[in-house]
Amino acid sequence: MVRCIISAGDLTVFVGVSLQQRSDGEEPSGQGEHRASPARPPFGKKQLPSIPKNTAPVTKPPSPASAAQSANGTHASYGPFYLEYSLLAEFTLVIKQKLPGIYVQPSYRSALMWFGVIFIRHGLYQDGVFKFTVYIPDNYPDGDCPRVVFDIPVFHPLVDPVSGELDVRRAFTKWRRNHNHIWQVLMYARTVFYKINTMEPLNPEAAVLYDKDVQLFKSKVVDSVKLCNSHLFDQPKIDDPYAISFSPWNPTIHEEAKERMFTHKRRPEDHHKGLQVTGLSWVKPGSTQPFSKEDSSLQT
Amino acid sequence: MMASVVARGNQASQSTVLQGVDPETCMIVFKNHWAQVVKILEKHDPLRSVGGGVSALGGLGVGGGGLGGLRFGPIPGDEASAVQNYVEHMLFLLMEEKCGQAGAMGPILEFVVMENVMERLFLWSLRREFTDDMKLEQLKMYEMLVGQARQPLLHHKPVLRPLMMLLSACSSDGPASSTAPAVEAELVLLLHQLCCVLAKDPSVLELFFHTSEDQGAANFLIFSLLIPFIHREGAVGQQARDALLLIMALSAENHVVAKHIAENTYFCPVLATGLSGLYSSLPTKLEVRSEEWHCLHREDWQQMPALVQFLNSLEFCNAVIQVAHPSIRDQLLGYIYNGFLVPVMAPALHKLTLEEVMTTTAYLDLFLRSVSEPALLQTFLSFILLHRHDNVHILDTLVSRINVPFQLGTVSLALFRTLIGLYCEDVMLQLILRYLIPCNHMMLSQRAVLRERDCYSVSAAKFLSLTPSCCSPDIIPPPLRQLDEVVWSKTVDDDDYKAMETEKDCPQVDNSGHSCVIGSEIYMDVSYLHYLYDARSGISKCIRACQVWSAPYDGETPPPEEYQPSTLEEVGRPRAATLSRKPPPQPHHPQKPRPDPQRDSPAAPNLLELEWDDSYDAGPAQPLPEPEVTQPIPVEPPKHIQELRKNAIMLIKGAYIEESDFQNDVMVYNLVAQKDASDPIELPKAAKTSSADKQTNSDVLSDSNSHQLGQANNRPISNGLTSRSHSAEDDESKSSLQTDSNLEGEELMAQYEELIRTLGVEAGSPMKADRECQRPISPMEEEEEEEVDFTSFCPETPEGDKIPSPYTAKPRSGSRIHGIPFTGPFVSVLLSRLENMLDNSLHVNLLLTGILAQLATYPQPILRSFLLNTTTVLQPSVRSLYQVLASVKNQIEQLAVTRRDFTELLTTAQHSLLARESSLWGQDCHSQESGDKGRTKQPVVQPKTILPANRTEVYGTVLFTEFLKELAAIAQEHTILSHLPMEE
Repeated sequence: MVRCIISAGDLTVFVGVSLQQRSDGEEPSGQGEHRASPARPPFGKKQLPSIPKNTAPVTKPPSPASAAQSANGTHASYGPFYLEYSLLAEFTLVIKQKLPGIYVQPSYRSALMWFGVIFIRHGLYQDGVFKFTVYIPDNYPDGDCPRVVFDIPVFHPLVDPVSGELDVRRAFTKWRRNHNHIWQVLMYARTVFYKINTMEPLNPEAAVLYDKDVQLFKSKVVDSVKLCNSHLFDQPKIDDPYAISFSPWNPTIHEEAKERMFTHKRRPEDHHKGLQVTGLSWVKPGSTQPFSKEDSSLQT
Repeated sequence: MMASVVARGNQASQSTVLQGVDPETCMIVFKNHWAQVVKILEKHDPLRSVGGGVSALGGLGVGGGGLGGLRFGPIPGDEASAVQNYVEHMLFLLMEEKCGQAGAMGPILEFVVMENVMERLFLWSLRREFTDDMKLEQLKMYEMLVGQARQPLLHHKPVLRPLMMLLSACSSDGPASSTAPAVEAELVLLLHQLCCVLAKDPSVLELFFHTSEDQGAANFLIFSLLIPFIHREGAVGQQARDALLLIMALSAENHVVAKHIAENTYFCPVLATGLSGLYSSLPTKLEVRSEEWHCLHREDWQQMPALVQFLNSLEFCNAVIQVAHPSIRDQLLGYIYNGFLVPVMAPALHKLTLEEVMTTTAYLDLFLRSVSEPALLQTFLSFILLHRHDNVHILDTLVSRINVPFQLGTVSLALFRTLIGLYCEDVMLQLILRYLIPCNHMMLSQRAVLRERDCYSVSAAKFLSLTPSCCSPDIIPPPLRQLDEVVWSKTVDDDDYKAMETEKDCPQVDNSGHSCVIGSEIYMDVSYLHYLYDARSGISKCIRACQVWSAPYDGETPPPEEYQPSTLEEVGRPRAATLSRKPPPQPHHPQKPRPDPQRDSPAAPNLLELEWDDSYDAGPAQPLPEPEVTQPIPVEPPKHIQELRKNAIMLIKGAYIEESDFQNDVMVYNLVAQKDASDPIELPKAAKTSSADKQTNSDVLSDSNSHQLGQANNRPISNGLTSRSHSAEDDESKSSLQTDSNLEGEELMAQYEELIRTLGVEAGSPMKADRECQRPISPMEEEEEEEVDFTSFCPETPEGDKIPSPYTAKPRSGSRIHGIPFTGPFVSVLLSRLENMLDNSLHVNLLLTGILAQLATYPQPILRSFLLNTTTVLQPSVRSLYQVLASVKNQIEQLAVTRRDFTELLTTAQHSLLARESSLWGQDCHSQESGDKGRTKQPVVQPKTILPANRTEVYGTVLFTEFLKELAAIAQEHTILSHLPMEE
């Protein structure tokens, strides 16, 4: 029930929207399907992220007054809310960006962990479908930049061949609140597959090959993509109800879901009509006069 | 008699008996019966030789009732009852007969038509004495036929004609005559039934028209007969209204009907003037049950038959407007505006005594809540927003009354809560947005920031940081464990308030406790979750509602540049002149009232008329408005204002005031308020708790001045002007001002100029400087102050260039024309009352915070950022919600220092409030018929001790703390919801 956890439920919907917006034939259709979100458990199941050390979201050095406040605990007790909403705000920003081929979904258990998948549509990594996890530091937005770890280490100069972690820090040497946003990290994660950079690689082998023997690099990439795609239907690496999982196309399940996705577009309006919450306006667009609409009396 | 027939008419046995019978047999029986009847009929027919009864009709005429009988001697009873018996059987046969092949008439019906049976029977009843019983009998006969016949009968003139004759016979008795209630009821029932037939089969309609044309007047008889019952109370009235509604719905599709009703009937005038009539029988003064009372709830008005009747008629108007043809709708709206709102409501809103005015305000609020049809709401709203009474907009008058002490202020607040809850762009525009559109209230550099999102909940944190130290969760753990559920929601106490709907899907708190300890022993305030939930539903509801608005109000659209006050003078006026507007719809009627030219004046120039509002911003007691500022106006004020004026002068004796200062009642109210406000300072504090509080304080302003004065002295007044524990700087500036008031003329101006210079603001507005010094200076503000180019806010045009508009009521005194930042009278009066939270009664505070919270849910960036963005840098002269709250916090901190037992008092107050809350929940569950609240009944918790209601400062403190959470929650939810891309 608890509202501070709003994230989970709402986000699912949001992801649904973004998936649907993108799935107009672009993807090998119905490649993946979300697991249905589990019913919201009673309050308390989900843990709030642990309290960061310094939660008072004060941009400037705290004034004496607010320092006093922090001392008496007012701030600290709302800290989790600030963090939660900051992350929610980040997530809505991601939605807004409509990053091509990237889908993310915060984990069920922690708002600080997001699951994602990226579809590469052209270039060397074409047809690659890479699942990843974003880890956000708990003192966000005042800590380091979020980490991006691929489920399977993709053969790429900037991806650690063992841990699968993408070198994000090189793009965000210092994480600056208000300037840096998580969508930028996701954007970056996409870019690296289109523009290969071999400077200071985490995977020196890949870097050397790319510079010295592109053909071999290419074939290694193809193998890597194949490997990744062959594990597509594996169970999610992290056991979480909101983890992204793929399953082979099954008309009995997916056809209906697909249908729903496409009809979802129309739903919100119908939805609104049912709720009967409509505002009133007789203001002519471009005017600030009340009752300036020509046909204002004819409004029904 | 026929009555017995009707009584049995519905019995299934009758029809089953007939079901098996062969139609031919039925026909034979029918014919036999008729033959018997005819025998008797002819025996008494004086015109027998002439033949058919048709030509006889003219002679008999309508209402010539008993003549025939008298002329030819009484008809023997046995013959009458014999006819009765035959007819009874015949009718059953007719009713039960089914259509013939391919919709042809059944044989009996054909016979009825050929033989003109119905008409002859009607004549027969006329020939006998046409008594009420006879009418009843005939009406019931038709009612039964119309309602139960298995084939369409009304298509046939020989059936329809006598029916129409019967109806017109009933109508000619006229409404004045003493028609027996039973006949009326039966008549309305029949009419209703006919309307049902019409609704189902509009092809009959034409026949009704034609038939009546035969009678000379093009008359839609059914309709005309119903009109006298429009405002009737009880079941008859209801049935008549239902029947009329059927016709209204018919009119939407049938132009003939619509045209007829609009042009040939008095339907609309009767309806609208009926409202006026019913209104006049409403009590002019309401019995106020308690000080808490602020609006008419269902349980209030259900006890007032006159009000119930009015609401029925209003509801009917609403329904008519909903279903009727546009021509009827527009006509009705015009009549309601010009025949009810302007001539009745407007004067009623300007009555002489506070009580009467308060009562009218409460009625207006109730009406607004009762009306649902947008077009009718529009009519009411354009009355409130645009109509001027004695040259003052109704809206301005209403706004000014928020500041009035006594219950009028509270009731006015409730009215505005209703208005704001409509999500109406026009209302919001007039109340607030038009003042914010130019973006003059904020620093120029800040405009770009308007739409930025507060990603890290900075504003929420700032609001919460205002939590007084005595209320910090460490000292008073927010959730009180003794309660099952702790829900703070102001909507609770107004069970009929529309926002209640949001409550039903409120989450249930599980029983695990009310505070969760997260990490290292930090309390998480669970009640905050509820605030977040409410904020979310409130904001999403508002966002959805505002989708129909014309503009986003985001600092770009409408463009601030185009609405600068200086340019508005030039640009706005011609533009408005070219606008062809027609609110409200005028009736198509000769006495079409001249449209109010004032209405066409553009929005911003209204600023000019709002000088009086300066007093709102005067937090601390401001002695009196400066004579310099309010220039005498040449216009002679209306009588009631003069009356009020006299009394107000009496009230404020001791202080010299130009009589010309009383430009309108607005001014007078403020003066009264000021007077009241300044009293507590001079009077012993003990008076505060005196029982005189409860007295009927708002008795009369116009008589017994001494009485009034005495009461004013005794009341702890919360009117936005009271002084209380202000900061040191504040007091300084206040005292300097107080001396100012004793100065005269130039000396005073010099003082002002001095002040203005020190504040670094362009000269030109004494009042502004005035506001300036009284503004409590908050630490935040100083810290955030930026260098601003003030010249950019100055007008290009010198004052002399301004051409006075012929439409402006008052000469310009030049206080606000210069684009001096001003967020409008409504916002200032709300904020100034909010600043006095600690003196306000609990109820006023609930209303105030409720209104502000609802305003805060509006997604329009200029409004949202003004209320919620604590980092926006505003113009120095503009007070923000945050600043006002900071000032309240300071008051509380001071209070907490001076009162040792303050913390305990707070705990007690919390308990009292929670008990109140839970008892309201309880009431709510019982009283509301909608048991689907989704809420389990709460046990009514009795607190150990109840804090007396007059400890307003303690309650105010608790509420303040909760309000901060509410605002923070709204701010947080905005960071997510308002930025979600809307469905494209």
